Amino acid sequence: MEHLVRAAQRGDPEAMDALVRDLMPYVGRVCGAIALDRGDDAVQETFIAVLKSLGSLREPAALKGWVRRIAVRESIRLAGSRTVAMDPDTMPLPEVALVDIATSLDIRATLAALAPEQRAILVLRDVDGLSEAEVARVLRVPVGTVKSRAHRARAAFRGRWQP
Amino acid sequence: MNPSGNTRTGGNGWPVATLDPIGRAKVLAATIPSAAFHHGVIDAPYDVVWPWVIDLENSTPRFDSQVDRVVIRHREQQGDITHLRISATSHGVSLPFHVRIEDGFCMMKGMARVYLVVMAAVPVDGGERTRFLHMEAIPLPDTGRLRRLIQREVDSDFSNLKRLAESGFPEGRS
Repeated sequence: MEHLVRAAQRGDPEAMDALVRDLMPYVGRVCGAIALDRGDDAVQETFIAVLKSLGSLREPAALKGWVRRIAVRESIRLAGSRTVAMDPDTMPLPEVALVDIATSLDIRATLAALAPEQRAILVLRDVDGLSEAEVARVLRVPVGTVKSRAHRARAAFRGRWQP
Repeated sequence: MNPSGNTRTGGNGWPVATLDPIGRAKVLAATIPSAAFHHGVIDAPYDVVWPWVIDLENSTPRFDSQVDRVVIRHREQQGDITHLRISATSHGVSLPFHVRIEDGFCMMKGMARVYLVVMAAVPVDGGERTRFLHMEAIPLPDTGRLRRLIQREVDSDFSNLKRLAESGFPEGRS
């Protein structure tokens, strides 16, 4: 990975594209869960921001954390710029097994009811596995804010699944 | 990558976003000095346009007025990815390129980064039409001033390709 980052920093297009391909699954999970219907736009804006400022990344080992911050920032920015009402009857769910549809609809609909910042906390805590302190650093908010937002977000999930 | 460009649902039920080949090309276009691109819809099926485009020996000289001839020197298949080494002759000068071809994405990088060509495509309207992006660049520092010249080239190439595709790729040089 270090070799790839160094080559991309020198502007090698093949390395830049390879970096995008390697990071795509992770960035897609973060942006999809936070930006929802603007997820694809958030992925594109994330990679543009990553490649434009890659020269400022001194330590390639810190790449994932650095990309995570940019992906969260871009996802919140885009999700906040246009709130989309999610209709469970019309949401596209390609390639989802029938048995998973109810759960997937619940997750999407519940996420859509939360603020982008709350979605970011859920993703970072429950999907990415970060500690509350780590989430606070990514979002640049106090740990107490992370705790209270996470509590409200999880309560929304429990309320939807266990009415 | 998701060729349709729609946000999917991951295996754990959480939404997963993606970057289709056009988005991937736009990322490169936004971050490579001098990159210029033309993006539009071609009124011809994806399953016809893309195989024709990636037949580089036959396609490139027909829609790129700066290329007289393309010769494949080496071909290697790695799963769904094709790697080629080609020579493209332009105004009597032969330039070596390394090419990576995937479904909907083709990157041609000149040796020593003298030139870069990216072509990307996704099916639209159920595959009946093709969203296509053509990008070219000189991926070296301080080449931004050349963007206007390169833009004319990609506009011309896209126009030629669109015309050929929408007339059923008739035989003969464009």
